[in-house]
Amino acid sequence: MGFFAADGPLPEANPGQFFMLGVKNCGDDPLLKRPFCYFRKRGNTLEILYRIVGKMTSIMKGLRPGDEVEILGPLGNVYPVEEVFFECKKTEKTEKTKKTKNPLVIAGGTGIASVYPLLEGLPGRAFLFYGGRSKKDVLLSRELRAVSKKFIPATDDGSLGFKGTSVDAARDFLNGRAPDDFVLYACGPNGMLKAASALGVQGYIASEEKMACGIGVCLGCAVRTKDGYKRACKDGPVFKTGELLFD
Amino acid sequence: MVDRGNKNKKLEVRIGGLKLKNPVMTASGTAGYGAELAEFFDLSKLGAIVLKGISLVPWQGNPAPRITETRCGMINSIGLQNVGLDAFLREKLPFARQWDVPVIANILGTSATEYTRLASALEDAGVEGIELNVSCPNVKEGGIAFGLNLKSFAGLIRAVRKKVKNPVLIVKLSPGAPSIEEFSRAAEAEGADAISLINSIPAMAIDVNTRRPLIKNVIGGLSGPAIKPIAVRMVYQASKSVKTIPIIGMGGIITGEDAVEFMLAGATAVAVGTATFMDPMAALKVVEGIGSWMERQGIKSASHITGAMLSDIRRK
Repeated sequence: MGFFAADGPLPEANPGQFFMLGVKNCGDDPLLKRPFCYFRKRGNTLEILYRIVGKMTSIMKGLRPGDEVEILGPLGNVYPVEEVFFECKKTEKTEKTKKTKNPLVIAGGTGIASVYPLLEGLPGRAFLFYGGRSKKDVLLSRELRAVSKKFIPATDDGSLGFKGTSVDAARDFLNGRAPDDFVLYACGPNGMLKAASALGVQGYIASEEKMACGIGVCLGCAVRTKDGYKRACKDGPVFKTGELLFD
Repeated sequence: MVDRGNKNKKLEVRIGGLKLKNPVMTASGTAGYGAELAEFFDLSKLGAIVLKGISLVPWQGNPAPRITETRCGMINSIGLQNVGLDAFLREKLPFARQWDVPVIANILGTSATEYTRLASALEDAGVEGIELNVSCPNVKEGGIAFGLNLKSFAGLIRAVRKKVKNPVLIVKLSPGAPSIEEFSRAAEAEGADAISLINSIPAMAIDVNTRRPLIKNVIGGLSGPAIKPIAVRMVYQASKSVKTIPIIGMGGIITGEDAVEFMLAGATAVAVGTATFMDPMAALKVVEGIGSWMERQGIKSASHITGAMLSDIRRK
């Protein structure tokens, strides 16, 4: 994984949103832009976090300062934070209880890029569970510790933090705690999202799908929901827990 | 007549009874029902908007993954996901009609009756054009049977033409049609006002590391610049085969010069599809690109480009 920074007049993006990024002068190969989560903005520089997986990301790695890229966005919806910031009203019977929830954030792989700006916007509030295969796959430890209330890394091989997945770590943490005290924010591979949805904590999960257009016209990034297929790019990428159906 | 030097007038073309401000349309299935692209530019700057195909009842589409990129192209298997006729008439069409641009609906069905019911309802709703999709490669009920069999193809057009008077009737040919020439002639003979081509070309791609197909349905439709030379050839063949009806050419158009190439081969108008996925403003850029090509070449009317390929090869 690496950082990628772009300068220029950039519109304000919010946590959960993404940009379509394309490289120039590549002779139609790669043809389409690729979606990348909004990671963070530093001054007038947009930063994204990416893993080198194919042709586009390899080209991105080879770009030099001053090379031009095309950026479309920000696109998609955002992580709602009402439950964290505002008092949440329950209208069961006539009794109204007011309650603020703690953000429970789970990330896998490059999914950390998606929840990072959320953590920055909720400084010292979130319980963060983020993992990878091994110690070297867990990025940004210092920054993440600084912006979270509690950061519990998880690694498959146990080389750092909890031995197991980030969802396992979260499940372990929730043992003996009331799920209703938390609101879930999760981003990562589908298997992780499925496991996170099964924790019993209500909240939001962001899907990562291949996209062609990013603006809602191609219907290529369809995700299965309880109301039929929806577009990850336009109806998402953030969905309520229970809305997405997993295989 | 006084030439006001109106750039728009120079770009005007006709498709049947429809006057288009310029030769550029959206390709069906690449512009939704208009709303998303309208966030990026004024749709009235296009020649026409062709909407996502609709069927009598909603179709949910194919399972994911539905798309994969290949060299200079992409394969899709969306499966004609659409909201169905009722929701289209109630929600989508009124929205699409708010711009000063002709709206062309794309329809698909499993039987001639379904097509005629759709066409009648759309005529009643006042659409300016109807494109018969008989060429979607991704859904076997999506009319491809009509696109590959000359007899049922001709029968379908005849049935729809009988029902529909006002809207311009466009038939979208399959690149898999056994003979582009015969199908083009049949479309004209049965009363089509225009032919559009090409739809995407059946194709597939495999991830050699996992040995799995890259899209769930295994086979999808290839689009983008990779198919352009094939599309230009088919447009050329179609235009040579018809007597008078215009051809709408598409397949990998990204720039104004790509569009001009289709027009030189015989297209009166063009549609921009996959390029819109690369850049939401693509169709608008194609309009501008045609304009600047005409300026450079000193061509006064877009209609003069149609079929204007010079057939002798001049060697230096």
